[in-house]
Amino acid sequence: MRRVCLVQIFSFSRTDRGKSFRIPRALKERNLAVPYFLNTIEQSSLSVWLRETQSLFGFYFVLLFHTIGMSLVVGANAVVDLRILGVARDIPLHPLKRLFAIMWVGLGLNVATGLLLLTAYPTKALTNPDFYIKLTFIALAVYTMYRMSIQVFGDASMSETAMVAKGKTMAILSLVFWIGAVGAGRLLSETARYFFYGHPAGG
Amino acid sequence: MNYAHLHLLLNHVPVIGAFIGLGLLLISFFGKNQDLRRASYIIFAAMALMTIPTFVTGFGAQEMIKGPSVDPLIYRHEGSALLSLWLMEITGTLALIGLWKSQTTGLPSRGNVAAVLLFSLLSVAFISRTGNTGGDIRHPEIRPAGEVTTGQPTIKEEPIGAFMAHFEPDPDKFTNVMTYSKWWWTFMMAVHFLGLILIVGTVGLYDARIMGFLKQLPLAPLHRLLPWGLAGLGANIITGLLAFASRPENYVFSSAFWLKMLALLLLGVNAAAFYLTDAFGEVQALKAGEDAPFSAKFIAASSLFLWFAVIAMGRYIQPLTDTLLGTN
Repeated sequence: MRRVCLVQIFSFSRTDRGKSFRIPRALKERNLAVPYFLNTIEQSSLSVWLRETQSLFGFYFVLLFHTIGMSLVVGANAVVDLRILGVARDIPLHPLKRLFAIMWVGLGLNVATGLLLLTAYPTKALTNPDFYIKLTFIALAVYTMYRMSIQVFGDASMSETAMVAKGKTMAILSLVFWIGAVGAGRLLSETARYFFYGHPAGG
Repeated sequence: MNYAHLHLLLNHVPVIGAFIGLGLLLISFFGKNQDLRRASYIIFAAMALMTIPTFVTGFGAQEMIKGPSVDPLIYRHEGSALLSLWLMEITGTLALIGLWKSQTTGLPSRGNVAAVLLFSLLSVAFISRTGNTGGDIRHPEIRPAGEVTTGQPTIKEEPIGAFMAHFEPDPDKFTNVMTYSKWWWTFMMAVHFLGLILIVGTVGLYDARIMGFLKQLPLAPLHRLLPWGLAGLGANIITGLLAFASRPENYVFSSAFWLKMLALLLLGVNAAAFYLTDAFGEVQALKAGEDAPFSAKFIAASSLFLWFAVIAMGRYIQPLTDTLLGTN
């Protein structure tokens, strides 16, 4: 099978300048720029097992713990954000520092389960622009979470008023980024371009 | 046992409960008995919860008896249930808000009492109609004279029923509206996830503290987070019921769905065991560093377990979607 890559598309339009800037049908119908290694991953025994096993501990088990991890990291972070934004003001702020441990555990769980989900459907995820939007939101949210743990909760001598003043913007950003990440995650199945390597969605 | 059994077992509960709740509320106006008012509020909240399994088992029961002679009657019953379900949920929510507010002031506000009274009256009226139209499906003897009850039945409404029917949605149109756009569906599911996050963050943290985690935190302030968890629960009941009611066939044949409903009911029992006993007062008195009594720890642990079960079974609805097909 002849593979077509981006370089060929660009060189094609250059050599045929004046004739047509469009990609001909025959080329369009190939899987343009979908790297072959995605197919290799998809055919690996782990990937096939995750997708096709009759066991209840396959794909949906991983997905369950991806959901649990999400609820731990986002749930704990949202509670800290809400407290900084003025909800339940009489909760002392400093002890909430320990919630960051829960957040990191949840994040670790989601990196691990996320990689397994990616192994099960590499083409579906990596050819979907929304997947990169989701990763961007997560990166921004995790960076905000890290900054908050250092700049707001890192100094045990800081007064609560100073912590709230310093954390307010971060708390709002954190909520926005997490809502974006969850929303983009829910959109993944609706925006997929391929189900598998060589199997375009909806086509 | 099958869905029809379950539906028949459950379906009288919301009707009778709504009447008892309204009765106690009305009596509480004579002589201002706050205990009676509180009891009626608790009943409204409990009935909002009990209406959910009653509603969902109805679709299972429908699968068992459907046919040309009963379909129009079932269709009318379904439309009626689609309205009374929301009225019951609104009444229960208003009652919960009233109970929450009365923690500090001792009694719910006048506005709240008026709203609960209004919605409980509407609930009683429409849940009775739902009960009636449901009874019509299997009891020709209660149907109006002159109505054809064999073969292709014709529905003849009496004046009150005809008036109430104006407010009842058409189930098929409801499905069309809900499933018209995949973006709307995705939005509902995203809200469902955000609600889950709020519940786990607030209720999970409160339960974990009772069990001994993060002991530096006093418990009463942590409880102030709970309205956010309840808001998440409310959002999830709304989005969950909308999703269920528009595509019931995706849910009623999944064993995971019924286990999720069971776990939700047990969470209602769990909440009652916590709030209606001494456990709540004991826990609220705990200062930073103090340990909760064993009974409270047990309730908190079972709450965490049940919420895990709700999430897990929710996740398994899809892969187990046809496990119950053909078993009834």
